[in-house]
Amino acid sequence: MPLAVVDAQTLVDSVALGAVYALMAVGIGLVFGVLRLVNFAYGQLVMAGAYTLAFTSHFHPAVSIAACFAVVIALSTAIDLAVFRPLRGQSPAVMLVTTFALAFLLQAVARIVDVRDGTIGEPVRVVGRLNRAVDVAGVNVRQVTILAIVLGVVMLGLLALLLGRTTIGLHMRAAAADFRTARLLGVRSDRVIGFAVFLSAVLAALVAVVLTVRRPLVTPAYGLQETIVVLVGVVVGGLDRLWTATLGGFAIGFATGLINGVLPTDKTIFLPTAVFTLVILVLLLRPGGLFAPRGAATVERV
Amino acid sequence: MRGRIGWRAVALFAALALGAAACGGDGDDEAAEQTTGAETTAEGPITIGWAFDSSGQMAPFDGPALAAAQIRVDQINADGGVDGRDLRIETCDTQNNDPSRARVCATTLLEGGADIVFVTCDVDFATPVVQEAISQGTLAIAPCIGTDQMGPKRFGEAGRLAFSFGNVAQDEGSAMAEFAWEQGWRTAALATNTLLVYFQNVVQAFEARFTELGGEIVAKETYATGADNVDAAVSRLNQANADVVVTSTAFGELPALVSGLRALGSETPILNSWAGDGTYWVTDDPPVTNYYSVTYASVFGDDPSEEVRELIQALTDAGSQPGTGGFLAGAGAIDGVVEAIRRADGSTEGEALADELEGFEDVETISGNVNFSPELHTVFGREYRVVEIQGNQGKYFGPITAKTVPEI
Repeated sequence: MPLAVVDAQTLVDSVALGAVYALMAVGIGLVFGVLRLVNFAYGQLVMAGAYTLAFTSHFHPAVSIAACFAVVIALSTAIDLAVFRPLRGQSPAVMLVTTFALAFLLQAVARIVDVRDGTIGEPVRVVGRLNRAVDVAGVNVRQVTILAIVLGVVMLGLLALLLGRTTIGLHMRAAAADFRTARLLGVRSDRVIGFAVFLSAVLAALVAVVLTVRRPLVTPAYGLQETIVVLVGVVVGGLDRLWTATLGGFAIGFATGLINGVLPTDKTIFLPTAVFTLVILVLLLRPGGLFAPRGAATVERV
Repeated sequence: MRGRIGWRAVALFAALALGAAACGGDGDDEAAEQTTGAETTAEGPITIGWAFDSSGQMAPFDGPALAAAQIRVDQINADGGVDGRDLRIETCDTQNNDPSRARVCATTLLEGGADIVFVTCDVDFATPVVQEAISQGTLAIAPCIGTDQMGPKRFGEAGRLAFSFGNVAQDEGSAMAEFAWEQGWRTAALATNTLLVYFQNVVQAFEARFTELGGEIVAKETYATGADNVDAAVSRLNQANADVVVTSTAFGELPALVSGLRALGSETPILNSWAGDGTYWVTDDPPVTNYYSVTYASVFGDDPSEEVRELIQALTDAGSQPGTGGFLAGAGAIDGVVEAIRRADGSTEGEALADELEGFEDVETISGNVNFSPELHTVFGREYRVVEIQGNQGKYFGPITAKTVPEI
């Protein structure tokens, strides 16, 4: 069966997926930049926010969204205090396994909570209207796509301002470049890390809102699949810089959408195979990252 | 440098892990070998050993089926049991269908004297327990597995002792085609979730029967749970201009598909299998409208069977209000097993019961009439309830029965 022709709708849907992944990549890239931590539990922060949106669906949307932010920030802070802080200074492998364990623990807790009513999955009822589309020359552009793009650009811009124009931003960049030296020079490490954790939690809550528009039924594994894909995306884009990581997140979402559109409809089962073959090829050709400047010796980290 | 290589390794590892998960196998497909037969017990209670999942993916299916079966057992015992012998259910929790835990459950139940073993409602998850049971000559029953895998097709010769009281997907898809045709829908857009064989078989059977009736398939789209491609399928389905969108799906993709289509302004009827029963997944904005699914029973208080309504009430009183009609298959399986034991003159030996079950033709159970054949150990020919959802409210719409079981 021949490959399908890419039409405008496929391009728009691919951009939509890329925009959501880019938003996730900002948070993941930020945490890696400051903590040197590949956080597989990031998806469970998104899951916690999504469940909060589901359980507060009977409130006004503003209240529900505020509750989502509060829960995700509180959970993220608690994880940092209870788990990451005692392990600070351990090897990346230890930290990586810890985030795996956290992810599965949070999933198990969510399962216990969710299954009480005899069904798995809680629907988010409040933000679905953002899934409505604007017709542009016969192409459906969902409002949530526009929202995700705007949020991604704005958050990246705000972070750039924060990192470049504020004291805390300077401290974060110093910590990211050389944590030990930064501490010797008076940078308060816990304050810097706490702020990075806070920012990544804010981004996770935003992702929860955007994701639940697209996939309203929240389950214990919610956000995990996307996190793994985005983690791959940020490495492909270039993990050492926030903007390359974000572009990497966008790229893997866009490529996924595009390949899905090109594959014959009875062959989309091979979508992950095609995407990850492409990932391996890119890593082989550009191990420093697809968007990392060629020959760049110095890394920015954030 | 070392750090960079490390993170690339992480990315490669994640990519390979995800690829492996996407291409995930079906577990151990090898047929279990049959060994000795279970002893026939002529006296004392008949013990059903039930390996169920209380907290994992299958909990929403196993829990209601088990609760309904327990109530059915109590009713049968109150009426004098099976020719004077009481039924009793011994349970073992497979704890999210961990394979090693499931095997321990099978051994525990069989060594504890289980005459018949009931298993979880997914054939992959059920396989460890089924293999253990049938290898010892004990009948293995699933209340609601919906594929033709529960039997000789997967387990070979020993699979003669494995049956499911769920509806076989081919029959279900065929019934959906009959319903669509009755409604005057002459063109259909197919949306196949490729995650499960059951999902795929339902849509394939719909296509086979619908085109046989004279219907036309105007679009075919696929998506998969976890592949994040349901939105793309929705966009294309919305452009198909079909009389009905047909799918078989559950999990997160169900509301994503339905609310996705409605958010784009589509009012085209959507027809789903039992997988899409219930209203636990509906969204307020946009609300679910023009949505139909075929199922075992209407859980909206209006099932046409008084006996079913009473069972729902009993479950509700016991704190286990069913969210979908699947619970009824648990009670129906008890009815079917009891009938097989009676026909086998009280024997609980696996081969004797399999002989009787393979000969079932329109055997009455609370979940409808049950048919098996030597080739097909999952139910066909049962009357389905069609339920509809309008404005997020579910209600019974009418009955439908497949006239043929198409080859797919």
